[in-house]
Amino acid sequence: MLPCYQLHTRFIPARYQAALLLEYADAQDLSSQQVLAGSGLHEAALLSPDARLSPAEYLHLLHRINQLLPGAETALQLGQQLLPGQLGPISHALLQAPSLGHALDLLLRQQTWLSPLLAPHLMQLGDQTLLYWTDACISPRLRGFVVDMMMAAVTGMSRWLSGERLPWRYRFNRTRPASLEQYTVHLGSALQFDDCLNAMSIPTTWLAQAWPRGSQARMQLALDEASLLTAGGPRESLLAALYAHLSRQLRNTPCLEQASAAFATSPATFKRHLALHGTHFQAELDQVRTHVTLQLIHNQGYSNEQIAAWLGFHDATNFRRSFKRWTGLTPSVLRSRLLPGI
Amino acid sequence: MPILPRSALIVMLVVSCLCALLYGSLGTAKAMAVWNWMDIVGEGGTAVMSAIWALLILGSRPRGRVTSLLAGGLAAIMLGAWVDCLDEFFSIPQQQLWDNWLESLLTPGGMLALTAGLYHWRQEQWSLNEHMQKRERLFREHRSFDRITQLANADYLHRQLRMEQARQPDATCALILLDLDQFHRINREHGQREGDRLLQAVSHLLLLNMRPQDLICRYAGDRFAILLPATTAGQAAQIALHLQRALAGLAHHTRTGEHCLRITARSVWGVPGDDLEAFLAGLNARLEDDSPAMAAGLASA
Repeated sequence: MLPCYQLHTRFIPARYQAALLLEYADAQDLSSQQVLAGSGLHEAALLSPDARLSPAEYLHLLHRINQLLPGAETALQLGQQLLPGQLGPISHALLQAPSLGHALDLLLRQQTWLSPLLAPHLMQLGDQTLLYWTDACISPRLRGFVVDMMMAAVTGMSRWLSGERLPWRYRFNRTRPASLEQYTVHLGSALQFDDCLNAMSIPTTWLAQAWPRGSQARMQLALDEASLLTAGGPRESLLAALYAHLSRQLRNTPCLEQASAAFATSPATFKRHLALHGTHFQAELDQVRTHVTLQLIHNQGYSNEQIAAWLGFHDATNFRRSFKRWTGLTPSVLRSRLLPGI
Repeated sequence: MPILPRSALIVMLVVSCLCALLYGSLGTAKAMAVWNWMDIVGEGGTAVMSAIWALLILGSRPRGRVTSLLAGGLAAIMLGAWVDCLDEFFSIPQQQLWDNWLESLLTPGGMLALTAGLYHWRQEQWSLNEHMQKRERLFREHRSFDRITQLANADYLHRQLRMEQARQPDATCALILLDLDQFHRINREHGQREGDRLLQAVSHLLLLNMRPQDLICRYAGDRFAILLPATTAGQAAQIALHLQRALAGLAHHTRTGEHCLRITARSVWGVPGDDLEAFLAGLNARLEDDSPAMAAGLASA
């Protein structure tokens, strides 16, 4: 297994991610000194071809931008320009994506480069496809900002490449902001807050619709070229790797000891790594269970008893109480939201 | 040419020091025992505060007659208070009258200049209000203004709508939401700065095509809201159509002069009912129906 990246791993191409931020700040009449203040980074060094940022440094820059330009608009506008991006062959492949399905598949496979802070995942819920994000390397105060940025990025890219506004619906795992105008104009009015995950969904039929400028052959060509470039880099973040591990092991009563063994470290070290990312083992496990519950409810129509049994809970009451603790919602609330759009 | 705050600060400091020197050389120092601390703090404080006010005025207002009068008046009041304060430290022989003159001329003179400045400021405000008409109505909230278009934002619009309904519950007011087509492509293909320039051009054009009593706000992004007081849905439809035509006639030249961008816009309109939030949500949802056929305006009253 290739090594996972963590908060202080330097791998993000500064020339793209940082340059985009500085360019945006410049358009808002902010100097690069203002954005870089306190980061220990220098503009000239940042824009050199080989400069790499760690997620922590990237987060610091985003935090500065958010401080200097408060308001929901900043993240949404930044996101609009983010994809396909200027990442050489990877962006080129994205630009050639023949359909939304291909583009999302690429986003997931090249997550390290296209979305280093939040890991995107796909989930089928009935006739909807859900694109949802879990933490890769993030600080809690910026999670909302980066979620907005990534949602705007995917929205903007799919709108640009398909040539039309796609019927995305948005779900946010946070309380409803005081004013929604920026979200309405940049994303659309299908917005749901106080939800159990950060996701955007679309009817699955849209994934196969051909995009006007796409070409599978040219995309593949660019991808081959990209694989040469990304060969030495990290494949995914520690948290994303743990998420995948827990998803696989969910029915084998996963525990910290087992997980740390899979990552070839001691439980104490593993715990420390997780703490550095602002989380702990149980929280990560509960997150996976939440997402699986969502699928069991939507796709299998499972009752609380059946889900409790599937996840290895003692009984339905126990599961219900736990679910309420994980998400702040009861499973029945989730069921009542089953069919979006109706 | 009026002076910058920093040089103004230096001038005020130098003049204050000169006054102190004058008192020091012509008067005799009073013993510390007879200093009246209450007066010293009061007069010294007045001097310091007046100086701060003068500097704030110079720092925040464009140069001109009104600014000079306001700042000059405050500076004279500052000197008057300072001279008063120096009186507490030095006694000037009775037969010398200059210090009395200084005291009794500076403060009233400063007040006169300040009053004249305020009077002219009022007139200046009148002409500025005319300029701001259509951008703000009835009350001012500087924090609500958008940096790029200099239009008020959605918060301001919400408050205006509520106020309009409270003021005239019987009269109908109408609202138009106007959204530029394919604006995201301009940002992408020509850069954010060009997109911002286009938004400025659009807001100017809309302002020129509105009635004096109307209010325009930048709702968010490339969406504009136009509040039409005492207007029916039918009139709003005509106005919306006119604004769309006006935008279709705009030829926006990019900064480099290389490209000429043409834009079109979609608009929806309605008459707000009691639930403003639902009304705006409904208008926005209708704008999103991407159908090329124009969304028909429906009154929701």
